[in-house]
Parts: sequence; C-alpha cells; structure tokens
Amino acid sequence: MADELQSVDDATRLELLLDYANQLPSLPERYWALRDAGIGLVHECQAPVFLLVEVTGGVVRLRVDVPMEAPTARSFVTLMCKSFDGERADVVLNAPDDVLHQFRLARLLGMQRARGLSAIYQRIKRDVRRQL
Amino acid sequence: MTDYANPDVLVSTEWVAENLQNSGSLRLVESNEDVLLYNTGHVPGSVHIDWINDLNDELVRDYVGHTRFAALCAEKGIRNDTTVVFYGDKSNWWACYAFWVFKLYGHQDCRIMNGGRTKWLAEGRPVSMQEPEYPSATYAAQPQDASIRAFRDEVLAHMKSDGPLVDVRSPAEYDGTLLHMPAYPQEGALRGGHIPGARNVPWSRAAREDATFKGLADLESIYKEEQGLDTSDDIIAYCRIGERSSHTWFVLTYLLGFENVRNYDGSWTEWGNLVGVPIEK
Repeated sequence: MADELQSVDDATRLELLLDYANQLPSLPERYWALRDAGIGLVHECQAPVFLLVEVTGGVVRLRVDVPMEAPTARSFVTLMCKSFDGERADVVLNAPDDVLHQFRLARLLGMQRARGLSAIYQRIKRDVRRQL
Repeated sequence: MTDYANPDVLVSTEWVAENLQNSGSLRLVESNEDVLLYNTGHVPGSVHIDWINDLNDELVRDYVGHTRFAALCAEKGIRNDTTVVFYGDKSNWWACYAFWVFKLYGHQDCRIMNGGRTKWLAEGRPVSMQEPEYPSATYAAQPQDASIRAFRDEVLAHMKSDGPLVDVRSPAEYDGTLLHMPAYPQEGALRGGHIPGARNVPWSRAAREDATFKGLADLESIYKEEQGLDTSDDIIAYCRIGERSSHTWFVLTYLLGFENVRNYDGSWTEWGNLVGVPIEK
C-alpha cells in the first residue's frame, strides 16, 4: 500500500484514500456500548475515532469506528487495519515511525490533519506495547 | 434572516436549491475541514476549495498571493462578477474562512449558505459525487486588503492600547488549561492562555445546533449588550489558526454591521509561540 500511495500523483492518492474510507471494517456489535460511552476515543483526533487494540497470543486485533463525516480519518484507520489487524505484535512495534511520510500523506493533508492521524498510529503502538 | 445588517450575504438552502442551475453567474464553493468530505458527495454543481491545499502557501505561512488566487478562481470558473456562495462542514467555519480569503483578495459578491453542509444533508437535499467542470474564467485579483487582516505587530499595538480583542476559542483554551480545542490535535503552542485583555466569546455562541447563525436579537444581546461592543469599535478576533474567528468576523461584520473587524489568522499558534510577548491565564 505504501508503494502504491508513493507511486501516484496527489489526485490519484486522494481517490485511493476515498476508496479506503469506504472499506473501513464495521465494528462488531459487542463493542457498540464501549464506543457510545466514549471509551477508546483517540482524543488527539478531530473526528470521534474509536480505536480498541487487543493483543491475544501475540496477535493484534484492531476494533475501529469512525463516522462517515470524517472520511480522511476513516481512510487512515482503514490503512492501519489493512496493515496491522491480525499481524504479530512485534511486527506492529517494529513498523516505521514515519508512516505518514511513507504513505505520502503528510504533505497532502497538511500539518494540522497529519497530527491527528499520527496520534492514531502512536496509540496503536502504545496499546500493543502495554499488553505485552 | 432579513433583519441582519447585510441580509443579502446570507442565503438559505432553499435559495441555493432554486438557483442550482444558474452556473453562469453563480458558483457554489464547498470548503471543509476534512479534505475528502467533498468527494463523498456535495451540493450538485459545487466546486471544492480546500483551506490547506488551495488557499495556504506551502513555503510561507501566508495565503497563496493574489496571482495564485486569481489562477484558482479562473480554474474554478469564477469571474470577478460571479456570485460565490460558500458552504461547508463544522457550522461553516471553513466556508467563512474561504469567504474571508476571497474578501482579502477583493472578491465583491460573496455569500454564505446558512446551515452549511449539515443543514443541506439534514433536509434530504440532493448530493452529487461528480466534480463539475466549468470553462476557465478570466480573473483579476486585488492585492490583499489589509483592513480585514491583523498581523502580530498590529495585535501587539492593539493590545497595548487596550483595543477590544475577541478570543473565540473554548473557555479551556482561553484560560490556558488546554492548548487546543477539546478533542482536537495539539497544534504546537508553547504557552497556554490568551492575549492580555482579550474577552472570551466562543464562536459557538453565534451558532444554533443546526449550524445556522442565531438571529439578530440574540447576536446583539451577546456582542453589544453583554460584551459592550459598538459597531464603530476597532476589533480584532482570533482563535487557534483563524478559522473559528472567521466565523465570528463574519457575524460581526456582515450580520451585525460592525465596521472595523480584523481577523488575526496567526492566532494562538503564532501568539502562543512568540518570544517576548505577554500572555494572560
């Protein structure tokens, strides 16, 4: 995905992100109460991004929800799920820290938007680390 | 809407729906916080102007300059005499911000669709996924109109002379508890608080739940009666990066008829980082 996002122009990158925004996995019903109670919110993010990180037997599962009104956050969270959901914890922890640059998103989105997305990424790593 | 100081500057969703086909003299512009939102569906015929990618310069912390602004308008099929109607998400913050930038470069006929994207969608009105293409227009932009924009040295002088400053951020940002909006990303100010002497009138007090502006009587009671501001006062409004204060600038200038309101777009991300300037908590 990083290769794909790196190799296209800005307009195509926006189209790819829109595609990702539409591919966000749905949140299993058993997590709805947590989401509705505000648990798992990424506070640094301007959109209400729900993110729960579970590590079982060294495998990372991401439970996520982002409203339709925030397609940029939805697309980034989809990228995170495609990259890390079902992946081994050590792989997640060893993933590069500059993922926004690798996806060529920092310049496209601007500093303000990039900061919120960066917080989502750091939150995944932090929560994985805490559960090991 | 008819009793505001400049009632024509605000148009209703009904008016926009009735004028959708009038792309010859009218251009709808959607401006959002989220760069992808326009592409998920927008008012049919509207063009997208993004506050970062289209209006802000990459290399200087400033707007794109009047030559690039003119090129942007030309590309969107906007002529100097086009009626431009702005709307967007977040109670029209970014619509007001784009409106303000258009005024900065001297565009005559700018309007806001009251209620923005939220109201349009809530009313079940049509949306389109198709990005329209308009013939390129000829546009001549003016150099920036400094009368509606405040720079840091002017803000400092204004503060020293006890000129009215309106801080439109949330109370927690104003008193320094938070450096950014609740639930918003931290945008890198090293000090929390407000410009000494500034009063705190959160932008949201001028808006209703459905994202429309409050009526004239309510707005007068907030800004004139409660805050004691007069339409002839020289006022500077600021927030964090100038978007929420564009909303208040619009309310004061166009809905209440204040004559001298400037938006300090450097706002707290500049003031909270400046070496040697005072703040208040």
